[in-house]
Amino acid sequence: MNRFGIPDLGVGIGLRPVHFGQILSGSPEIDWFEVLSENYMDTGGRPLFLLDQVVERYPVALHGVSLSVGSTDPLDREYLRKLKELARRTKAHWVSDHVCWTGVLGRNTHDLLPLPYDEATLRHVIGRVREVQDVLERPLVLENPSTYLAFASSTMTEREFLARLAAEADCGLLLDVNNVYVSAFNHGFDASEYIDAIPADRVVQYHLAGHTNKGTHIVDTHSGPALDVVWDLYARATARTGLVSTLFEWDADIPPLEEVVVEARRAHAHRRTAAATGTEG
Amino acid sequence: MPSLALGGLQRWMQAVIVHPAERTREALASSEAAALVPPERLGDVVLPSETLDPAERVGIYHDMYVLRMEEALESDYPGLAHFLGPERWRQLVRGYLEAHPSRSYTLNVLGRALAEHVLAARGVSHAGFCRDLARLEWAIVEAFDAPETPILTEASLTAVPPEAWEDARLVPTAAFRLLSLHYNAGSYLDSLRGEEHDHPLPRRSPEWVAVCRRDYAVYRLPLTRPSHRLLGALAEGRSVGEAVEECLLRSRPRPTGDQIFAWFREWARSGAFQSVEV
Repeated sequence: MNRFGIPDLGVGIGLRPVHFGQILSGSPEIDWFEVLSENYMDTGGRPLFLLDQVVERYPVALHGVSLSVGSTDPLDREYLRKLKELARRTKAHWVSDHVCWTGVLGRNTHDLLPLPYDEATLRHVIGRVREVQDVLERPLVLENPSTYLAFASSTMTEREFLARLAAEADCGLLLDVNNVYVSAFNHGFDASEYIDAIPADRVVQYHLAGHTNKGTHIVDTHSGPALDVVWDLYARATARTGLVSTLFEWDADIPPLEEVVVEARRAHAHRRTAAATGTEG
Repeated sequence: MPSLALGGLQRWMQAVIVHPAERTREALASSEAAALVPPERLGDVVLPSETLDPAERVGIYHDMYVLRMEEALESDYPGLAHFLGPERWRQLVRGYLEAHPSRSYTLNVLGRALAEHVLAARGVSHAGFCRDLARLEWAIVEAFDAPETPILTEASLTAVPPEAWEDARLVPTAAFRLLSLHYNAGSYLDSLRGEEHDHPLPRRSPEWVAVCRRDYAVYRLPLTRPSHRLLGALAEGRSVGEAVEECLLRSRPRPTGDQIFAWFREWARSGAFQSVEV
């Protein structure tokens, strides 16, 4: 069990509008859903109506893309208020976002932009994570981003930055195994060493996904199945953390629900191995 | 070059990413970006990878920015994007983002000023038609996301005593939108529904339309000029008696009583009103 006592929900998939009909008419065998927070904060229409029905049948967690925890702009208090309200409405087991920034000077690029990994940035992000946790009144769970550039001013590795951030801000981690692979390719580091350096007791959730290899770099497109090498990294990670809620993301050329579920279920074999080796979460 | 503090680094990177130039090197050389990081010192800020130089790595973010915004706006404006075609649509989006960048945590509101922007945008032919098409598509977006309000029921209608109708006022639902268009934008949207690509040419031809939502489904109701006039007066809060009288006075030919009853039935059925105040 992670240090926060957040439960292992099993294997889930990202809740996408294209699947609402199949989910609500067929009650497919999926352990839980991850809900994109911003899609439901400002709508009173069909999406929220359908989300309420999903929440009645399945456990959910919220996953955001606009917290911008690394930005030098002030935190958006209205956003946090709405996020807290959505978490209450959906009985979300946890709330996650990314170690990144999305904009400054009041603008939002709607991208998950990379941070320099240095002491000043670490102190800045730690302070903001604490602030967010005070508002949400729960631990924040932060995901390692996929990145396409690295700053010359970085003085530590991403994994060191994450480990120190989690320890000093006392937050949880969402380990996106595909992002580790993508960033390892783009920056030339060892993905296995990264996985081994993540503090196991802080991992609350895993992400798995497909990606697109452009030859010179890999883009985290969330398209198609995950590569075997990503599954191998997941197996390596679960051997350390034990059973942790796992989620498969598919956002480009989204296939029928059954296909996403089949891909997600590949996680079960690795979870059984983790359980058998006695590393139960 | 001394390393930039986090705020400066973020201002620089954002200036490059959101710059409307198609080529990243042009964005890197823009005055805003170059004031923080001179292009020739880029290597002091961003590391190369084994396969990409620093400018190419920044370019990944620069290229993705426009694609992401294009995709978000196209989901709100499929008709306008289809009418303009990929080239002119992208040009419109680039200009729009410069004038109206996202300042919200949600992409849902990014397109709210597009209808006004399109009138003055460079390279847009049939600007008046495009503006009307954008107004109609944005009304549909707003109706889709509006807060849920109750719908006027048969029971609440029949509960109104006949003598009270003249002074009664109908309260529109939160999703209700009413438009008066100068061009055939509604007909163009209709033509996008099927597989056929037989779209009407833009022409100046007034159309009146109400956008309503019932059971979370959004409907477009084509109106006539008199029915638009009546519905508009009701939505503004005039009493049923005042609204009908004004409609009868200003409309030629005058709508009949049967026609007016049929309009009311359709509006109520489509979720235009939430309640009747007596």
